[in-house]
Amino acid sequence: MTLPLEGIRVLDFTQVYAGPTCARLLSDLGADVIKVEGVRRMDITRNFVMPENDSSDDYWNKAGYFLLRNGGKRSLTLDFSEESGGAGVEIVKKLIPHCDIVMESFTPHVMEKFGLDYESLKGIRRDIIMISLSGYGQDGPWRDWSAYGMGLEPASGISSITGYRGGDPLRTGISFTDPYSGIVGAGAVLSALIYRRRTGKGQYIDLSEQEAAIPVVGYALMDYAMNGRPPRRMGNRSQWYAPQGCYRCQGEDRWLVLTIRDDAEWQAFCEATGHPEWSTDRRFADVLSRFENHDELDRVITSWTEQQGHIEAMHKLQAAGVMAAAVLSPKEELLDQHLKERGFFDMVETDGNGVRPVPHQLGAKFSAFEMDTGRRAPRLGEHNGEILEGLLGMSPEEVSQLKEQNVIGEEPILGLPIPVMRMFVQWPTTSYLQMGALAAIETDYREQLGIVNGEE
Amino acid sequence: MAERALDGIRIVELAQGIAGPYCARLCADLGAEVIKVEPPGGDYTRRLGPFPGDIPDPDRSGLFIHLNGNKKGIALDMATDGGKAALGKLLANADVLIESETPGRMSELGLGYEDLKAEFPELVYCSVTPFGQTGPYAKFKGNSLTAMALSGLMYITGDPDKEPLCTGGEPAEYFGALHAWVAMLAALEHRAKTGAGQHVDVSLLEALGSADEYNTTMYAWMGAIRKRYYSRHHIPTYPSEIFPCRDGHVVVIGGATGFPLMMAILIERPELEDDPLFTNLWLRTMQWQKFEEILRPYLLEHDWEDLVVRAQELRVPFAPVLNPQTLLENAHLRERGFFGEIDQPGAGKLPSACNVFRMSETPLQCGPAPVLGEVQKEVGP
Repeated sequence: MTLPLEGIRVLDFTQVYAGPTCARLLSDLGADVIKVEGVRRMDITRNFVMPENDSSDDYWNKAGYFLLRNGGKRSLTLDFSEESGGAGVEIVKKLIPHCDIVMESFTPHVMEKFGLDYESLKGIRRDIIMISLSGYGQDGPWRDWSAYGMGLEPASGISSITGYRGGDPLRTGISFTDPYSGIVGAGAVLSALIYRRRTGKGQYIDLSEQEAAIPVVGYALMDYAMNGRPPRRMGNRSQWYAPQGCYRCQGEDRWLVLTIRDDAEWQAFCEATGHPEWSTDRRFADVLSRFENHDELDRVITSWTEQQGHIEAMHKLQAAGVMAAAVLSPKEELLDQHLKERGFFDMVETDGNGVRPVPHQLGAKFSAFEMDTGRRAPRLGEHNGEILEGLLGMSPEEVSQLKEQNVIGEEPILGLPIPVMRMFVQWPTTSYLQMGALAAIETDYREQLGIVNGEE
Repeated sequence: MAERALDGIRIVELAQGIAGPYCARLCADLGAEVIKVEPPGGDYTRRLGPFPGDIPDPDRSGLFIHLNGNKKGIALDMATDGGKAALGKLLANADVLIESETPGRMSELGLGYEDLKAEFPELVYCSVTPFGQTGPYAKFKGNSLTAMALSGLMYITGDPDKEPLCTGGEPAEYFGALHAWVAMLAALEHRAKTGAGQHVDVSLLEALGSADEYNTTMYAWMGAIRKRYYSRHHIPTYPSEIFPCRDGHVVVIGGATGFPLMMAILIERPELEDDPLFTNLWLRTMQWQKFEEILRPYLLEHDWEDLVVRAQELRVPFAPVLNPQTLLENAHLRERGFFGEIDQPGAGKLPSACNVFRMSETPLQCGPAPVLGEVQKEVGP
């Protein structure tokens, strides 16, 4: 089996979410991705989501969050700080001839400061492809702004069209623009590879996470450009179809969404719910009256849904040709039969913490090959020797010397004392439960997921 | 003329709606030749607007124009032999077919991948559907909302005491477009190595589901079921959410360096540097209502731009909450040249959200969408 990016090597300086997603996609497609971290600057997501919420021992090698975006990569630690006298930078320059793609997500000009900007790298390898992922891009008045993922979805305009009717803008419950721009970045790199294959030329890609996601607002942008109309926040309703919404079902915090696009689907809904009388109700007779009487219609629909289980209602309505879906909790998603049959979750054998389900990072299946997903995440600095000796031909003595100088290492040099870090890494789940930010904590979750390991 | 990254790639787009067409538009902006095959009545997004002056017109639908720039159009009825023969001619010169029919429908028409692969062994056949080609939900009806619901993202979006909320703008469609685009380019690279085409099966649900930041992970690593809680993360960072200010809204993010000193300076209350709500992250996270009592009145007396600029000067990563108007008028985006301009026949000059990334050698380009009338004339009776 041939993978599309076999033979392609990526030097990945990115951290956290967007850049690592981009590199992970290339890795799943066959590229050899070398993830570069610093012993003084490890990827902060090595601190997020511990097995059993336990932050003891070498917790930085166990984080669930880090595994999702970094499974399958090789880990190289390199220190760029002045303490180590620029040795890290020299090693990068030696690695460049062996690499096709360089990815980075520092604030603009950091790579330049190290002498590792595109022009310098191009001097070492003419056809290098380099991509910079940043919050606001490499130029323009906002380029130096410090950008966190949670700020960029609003900056891209998406929050202006997200929110309850009459309410403030809201963000999605994830750092939306991070996965979004990570995938855009992967497509940009693939496009550059296709161009290089044809012409032999590399190039530089400047990806602003704010810009990448703006097309999601396309409809509202056009409405403003054409009609000067500001956007509306419509909750779960649609500007095109009525009814559309999220309806309460039987049980605690159980919900069903549905969209009815035309009279035929409305008829089908009324039949399926055993309420043929609704289909002849003049208040709901056509799409215009359904828009006009949406509030009343919502009450009528809820009178049916609140007697139904959310998953059963989905199956009942879909069988009748009505577009409906259960709102699944993360746990229910893990147990969903469709996603299971599609193989959406890889069962990954982790480094000492048993098998854990990890969602695919690319929502596609290929008939000619299977992506190389399902690999565990690298331990910090796990591949230092392999890369420095194997790829650069250094001697074991040279490698030990680099370790003594803290240029490389397998243990992070943390900014805070380790007991303080361990406290931060352990999440206050009991308090989150009391606040209502968690719905439940289930101690038997491994039994429920069927991932109990034979450790007894 | 500048070179484009995908010059020479030919794509036949048999898709309607958002995901398939936006995937093809990205390719077109990168230089691929895209022939959009519409049914005689046109892609249904021609009916979805928005329309100038709210007057419906299939050639002036803003959404259609947004999704179909830079393409050539043709209308074909796939239920007829003539339509199929014409499609066959297009495929003979194509590298990629993008389709978005309900699984099984293309096979019924004799146009499934299995039907075509013998004649077009190098074709990358890309199917973009709500749930993918296989599995128990394959034939379910779906849209962005159903993907939000089943991906778990909706359960964790919105206020805890209200119904789950979907993100605006049909995000699963756009995620699906991106995943289809990446998968299709990967299939082209695979073909360059092996000479073989293939069937690529993209699911909007899985495309959006892959954006799950750490929600299934929290359950699979510690048995915790995350629930929607305003715009807040569980990663200890409170505050990191949207608040109203005098002239709109602003994203307040403390970041790694915001507390206690910078935030106290920012809201002109230096004495709060010693306040436990400023010095203690856990306390602030748990007693957030008390913290907001301090913060909200100040924000309501100040404008978003002033707040964001002053915060950024202090290296505190506040962010703006932009809307269509402020996006289109934004000086930063203008200086970077994000929006292109197209001259759309019948609709005039319009902005185009074009430069989603910048390539030094092969810049993206935007262009007008095909007009339905022309499309139909070309085929003829």
